[in-house]
Amino acid sequence: MESSELKRSKDSVNSCESARRSSFPDEVLERVLSLLKSHRDRSSVSLVCKDWYNAERWSRTHVFIGNCYSVSPEIVARRFPRIRSVTLKGKPRFSDFNLVPENWGADIHAWLVVFAAEYPFLEELRLKRMAISDESLEFLAVSFPNFKALSLLSCDGFSTNGLAAIATHCKNLTELDIQENGIDDIGGSWLSCFPESFTTLEVLNFANLTSDINFDALEKLVGRCKSMRVLKLNRSVSLEQLQRLLVNAPQLAELGTGLFSQELTIREYEELESALSNCKNMHTLSGLWDATGIYLPALYLACTHLTFLNLSYAALQSVELAKLLAHCPQLKRLWVLDTVEDKGLEAVGLNCPLLEELRVFPADPFDDEIVHGVTEAGFVAVSFGCPRLHYVLYFCRQMTNAAVATIVQNCPDFTHFRLCIMNPGQPDYLTNEPMDEAFGAVVRTCTKLQRLSVSGLLTDLTFEYIGRYAKNLETLSVAFAGRSDWGMQCVLGGCPKLRKLEIRDCPFGNAALLSGLEKYESMRSLWMSACNVTMNGCRLLAREMPWLNVEVMKEDGSDDSQADKVYVYRSIAGPRRDAPPSVLTL
Amino acid sequence: MPNMEFQLGLALPTPSIIKGFDLNNLGLDHPKDMCGLEARNKPPRCFGDKSKRSFEQAFGNFEAECKTKTLLLLWSGQPNEEEDHNDQKKRTFSTIDDRNDAEEVDQVVGWPPIKTWRKKIFQQQQHRVGRIGNNRVADKENGSRSIYVKVKMEGVAITRKVDIRLYHSYQTLTNSLITLFAKDKKCADDDYTRYILTYQDKEGDWLIAGDIPWQSFIRSVQRLKIVRNWG
Repeated sequence: MESSELKRSKDSVNSCESARRSSFPDEVLERVLSLLKSHRDRSSVSLVCKDWYNAERWSRTHVFIGNCYSVSPEIVARRFPRIRSVTLKGKPRFSDFNLVPENWGADIHAWLVVFAAEYPFLEELRLKRMAISDESLEFLAVSFPNFKALSLLSCDGFSTNGLAAIATHCKNLTELDIQENGIDDIGGSWLSCFPESFTTLEVLNFANLTSDINFDALEKLVGRCKSMRVLKLNRSVSLEQLQRLLVNAPQLAELGTGLFSQELTIREYEELESALSNCKNMHTLSGLWDATGIYLPALYLACTHLTFLNLSYAALQSVELAKLLAHCPQLKRLWVLDTVEDKGLEAVGLNCPLLEELRVFPADPFDDEIVHGVTEAGFVAVSFGCPRLHYVLYFCRQMTNAAVATIVQNCPDFTHFRLCIMNPGQPDYLTNEPMDEAFGAVVRTCTKLQRLSVSGLLTDLTFEYIGRYAKNLETLSVAFAGRSDWGMQCVLGGCPKLRKLEIRDCPFGNAALLSGLEKYESMRSLWMSACNVTMNGCRLLAREMPWLNVEVMKEDGSDDSQADKVYVYRSIAGPRRDAPPSVLTL
Repeated sequence: MPNMEFQLGLALPTPSIIKGFDLNNLGLDHPKDMCGLEARNKPPRCFGDKSKRSFEQAFGNFEAECKTKTLLLLWSGQPNEEEDHNDQKKRTFSTIDDRNDAEEVDQVVGWPPIKTWRKKIFQQQQHRVGRIGNNRVADKENGSRSIYVKVKMEGVAITRKVDIRLYHSYQTLTNSLITLFAKDKKCADDDYTRYILTYQDKEGDWLIAGDIPWQSFIRSVQRLKIVRNWG
């Protein structure tokens, strides 16, 4: 404390300082600022004046780093001495779709080493698209005695052995959330590594894993962790086992079931139904692997207060969904597979007036010959019944401009509009025109739009619309679209709040790339793959903008002058030193 | 003939009793003579889809189809038979990533944009359905199971699959096939090429589709083939 006071009195005189000192002691300022949670608010606060900058950095306990290469762990530790919780994101989003080479980077270990030295009291680590090894997990488990929460989303490089290390050593663990990772599932014994004396777990999510776990160990664990509120099981847990768990954990707020398909006697079914309906706090339900109409009614009584229902692992038919939704009047978020078809979505429109988010995933994404799934009709039906809809992710095989115009007219509050017409470059199937007017309608009508993914046959006109109207747009994803550099130039010239731009397979070249020179410094990152950008264009960009890292990933056997995959991001840490040979830093 | 309107023939090979329709000329001449006209006037009834493209839209815009043909061909992500690799311009698309499951051949890497772990779930589910399909009591509420048959069209490299269960008549099946293969039809084809729909039955014989009632047909059909008729 003393050194900090000395530090502050040494700070250069600032116009606000004398006025501030007389009315506002440092300690109070720090106390006030410590209540700020949003990292954007904190960034704004830190820019006010030097004193506020310092007060903010001393009071900050959570740091969010959207791109792990934009800053180094040393810089972070120097600026923020009192961090307890870290959120780190690594690879570009297109790595989710195998577009990024496997050894690209984003390894957490260097960060952990610095944290172990500077933040020994670290409590929380949330990682997205980072590479993390078992050794790193073990290092984490033994280096931070206060460690409480680990969340791994879309990470890779580790196995269940790493989880065993966490379970063994983290005595104060409250959260273990393993989602959507490329995890090497060696076996389920990790769960048995939680000591008998361990009772603090509140969040346990292992839905990602496939191996059988020791159910006995799980049952005991759930039984003694009385504060558990989130439990998401994997497929290996049966209905009968689920019932046994629920009997001991009626306080659960979020439940992910295991396999929802099993031969049950009437007695067992009734017990299951009863156990489910006893979970009075349940607001989120997921899992439901292989669920069919037979056992879904067991859920009906439990769905009364449900706000989030994730059916994306259950290939339900429209009638089954309709019957289920009749019992979910409070639903705000719904994820389904397109096996429910338009009829199922009609039921959504009829039963879920409070719906805010809808995600429709394709059950058979690579089989376009068999015509099924949802069409524009389903989306339109939902828009009529759910005026509060503001987040949509919709995979379909046909769409029309008119339908989209109707949809946004019904739901003008979209913040996230992600439409994926699965056949690349497909036009409006009724008029055969490009889908320009659809996205024009979206950006014109939805003034709050933050995130947009476009698809279908699109000319530069779409991007003219986006540049002109999408004033709040932060994230834009583009694939197989556009006609010329002009399209990308429109986006870079408009869209004042653009932060992330990801483009693949579009005819945008150097002129487009270089038109965004100043823009890229206000953005987190730009991704361009399979476009018309050349190495020379990238070199020019790197030369002009020293605060940008320009990385090119080369494909085997491609032309030397082509820049197959380009990743550009701002950084105060300089070019990274851990890039593999396939990644060239210019 | 019991079901005149189901005489597909997909062709007018000779001035015979079998009237059908010509994939190329539908809508252009003598619509009244063509039983297959219903494809154009009436929206197909398969699986409740009310707004499939009409025949003209499927075949009409040849130029547009030609331009997007490469992309469409490139996108079909099935391990299809007899693929014509010359048609696929790989330069603009990323090479196939080694991590892709051997069974799933993505001509276009990472498209549609679905996370790897989700793709694995789909694949596992499909294997499961395939394996225990014969023993399941009821896959769907109405108790019917998908019946996938391969469809090959002469002159087209890619073999497709259709779920026969999705259709309730020869008409709806043919409509769907027209739409399917409209994408593949090479632009250079002769305008007067005519086609017949044939099928292989349980005994292995190849017959012209349309002679037997629909319900018998779906129980018997093993494969479909659309052949050129030079008659």
